[in-house]
Amino acid sequence: MSKPIYFSFHWKFYFSVAFLLLVSLFGLQACQKAPADNKGLSAPVNDIPRLASGKPDFSGIWEATSAADYDLEPHSNRKDAPPGAGIIEGKYIPYLPEALEQRKKNFAARETLDPAVKGYTLGVPRGIYYPEPFQIFQREKDLIIVHQFGHSVRTIHTNNTDHPKDPYDWWLGDSRAKWDGDTLTVDVKHFNGKTWLDRSGNYHSDSLHVVEKWKLIDVNTLEYTATLEDPKVYSRPWTLSVLLHRHREKDFQLIEDYRFTLEYDEHYPPRPPVQ
Amino acid sequence: MRHKLAEWVAGRSAVVTGMITLGLVAAVTAHKVNAQGGGIQIERSFPAIESGDWTGPRLADGQPDVEGHWSNTIANHNNFTDPQGGIPNDPNPRPADAGPRDTRAPSRVSDPADGQVPLQPWALAKVKEFQVGFHDPVKPEYIEPLARCAPGGIPKSLYWHGYEISQYPGYVLFQFNSGTRIIHLDNKPHLPENIKLWNGDSRGHWEGNTLVVDVANHNGKALFGRSGEFISENGKIQERYIFNSDKSRYNYVAVITDPSVYTRPFTVTIPARRYTDKDTPNGWHFEVEPATHAGADLILEHYERICAENNGGFGITAAQK
Repeated sequence: MSKPIYFSFHWKFYFSVAFLLLVSLFGLQACQKAPADNKGLSAPVNDIPRLASGKPDFSGIWEATSAADYDLEPHSNRKDAPPGAGIIEGKYIPYLPEALEQRKKNFAARETLDPAVKGYTLGVPRGIYYPEPFQIFQREKDLIIVHQFGHSVRTIHTNNTDHPKDPYDWWLGDSRAKWDGDTLTVDVKHFNGKTWLDRSGNYHSDSLHVVEKWKLIDVNTLEYTATLEDPKVYSRPWTLSVLLHRHREKDFQLIEDYRFTLEYDEHYPPRPPVQ
Repeated sequence: MRHKLAEWVAGRSAVVTGMITLGLVAAVTAHKVNAQGGGIQIERSFPAIESGDWTGPRLADGQPDVEGHWSNTIANHNNFTDPQGGIPNDPNPRPADAGPRDTRAPSRVSDPADGQVPLQPWALAKVKEFQVGFHDPVKPEYIEPLARCAPGGIPKSLYWHGYEISQYPGYVLFQFNSGTRIIHLDNKPHLPENIKLWNGDSRGHWEGNTLVVDVANHNGKALFGRSGEFISENGKIQERYIFNSDKSRYNYVAVITDPSVYTRPFTVTIPARRYTDKDTPNGWHFEVEPATHAGADLILEHYERICAENNGGFGITAAQK
């Protein structure tokens, strides 16, 4: 008698556990769906972070894992670069004939001419796929990008302002952006022409005009594309794209990298006389 | 580029000669500086602000809202302990810098009472040597590193032009004229101690109206000004940014400790005020431009501040030497 009762109790127990498990699974799913539904947005990607306004929140520390900075174009391995399939739509940069000659000269002298070797600000778009992290600080009115390399700061304005009427030439250009659904489209111009696109000598002039598109494809991944137009150097606009990954390591932070000070670092601070 | 030109005018370097094209820009900047009347040195004294409750506006994450454009009210980095007294040993002193000491703003060193950095004898000798060498930089160490585009460091960044403070959940960001500082508001540990940085590694938290920041990993290279006082890579800095609740001013009060350079810890006090769209843009304290937009309201923004190739006045002298 006791045995069947015991068995029956056991069976009921398992049934209850399974039932509870199912209920909680449905409940959990409902909870996960709720925030996205409550946003009331037309086409939310999925559960990406958002600002109070509902715009995507790109805040975080990001870095490309691509080997793009070695050479944007497809290339075999060489002493100073791993092989890479390139990140350009159509594989190659459509240089004008004279510009292609300049690019070859740059390549030959890349070890000394690359502005990054001197520690200069990397520019746009190079700073984005250069193998050092950058941090996005985002508010409603702007996104401030702090690059670890040089700690250079770029402001992307999202407050319906236009390019200055009386601009200077800047290392990072002037960035004005608008939201197109969940995609941030950034118009960048007024560059100084002193930066390169990678360490293999791909370059641009001060007539560069860049249109960037930034979009979260999941919580931890940004899809970044840049279309470059420069009538002095390219025969037509061309587009590159990379994925940017969120740094999630414990206690990860930017570490100041003012590379250009290294040549005089040794002279400071004063030292006590040798005893 | 432009801030260096403004500095030529305000700090009167002799290098202007020959820089004809740039001179035009300098003239425009000088006009902007003079337009406000006071130049860089706005105050000779300033009010104390007590640490206490914050009753002003808050950001969504609960931080006191102190965002905006700020600048010190006393002087630039010509002289750390006699801020309005001109560069020590200047062969061409400005008449305005002369006169009895008590007619000028007090030392930035608020403790000890004599207003001097309590330097060990060897460090004092180095400072005296710098104060002579600065005017004829025959050795690279006589060049004030800011002239070579180095970050202003701590505390000099707070009296080198105006700067912008912005705040985010977990962070306070300082965009200085030369250099950028990220204050982390979480409690993550400091970087490993052999990593040394121009602006150090900062951990902060809010106590009422006061942002309390602990600075480690300082590289000691920035110098405190053209008067040559310095800290070493062994130094620690405990900062208190004490804001008044109407968000118009704050006083920076920092205790600097470095047993390898000083005989005792000392306190630095630097007053600052906020600039808003009611203020006239100014080529030194409030370096902003009106944004282009369709609306009627005034939106002021600052342009990129990047100095990387000794493109300023003092840098040119240095490079020629």
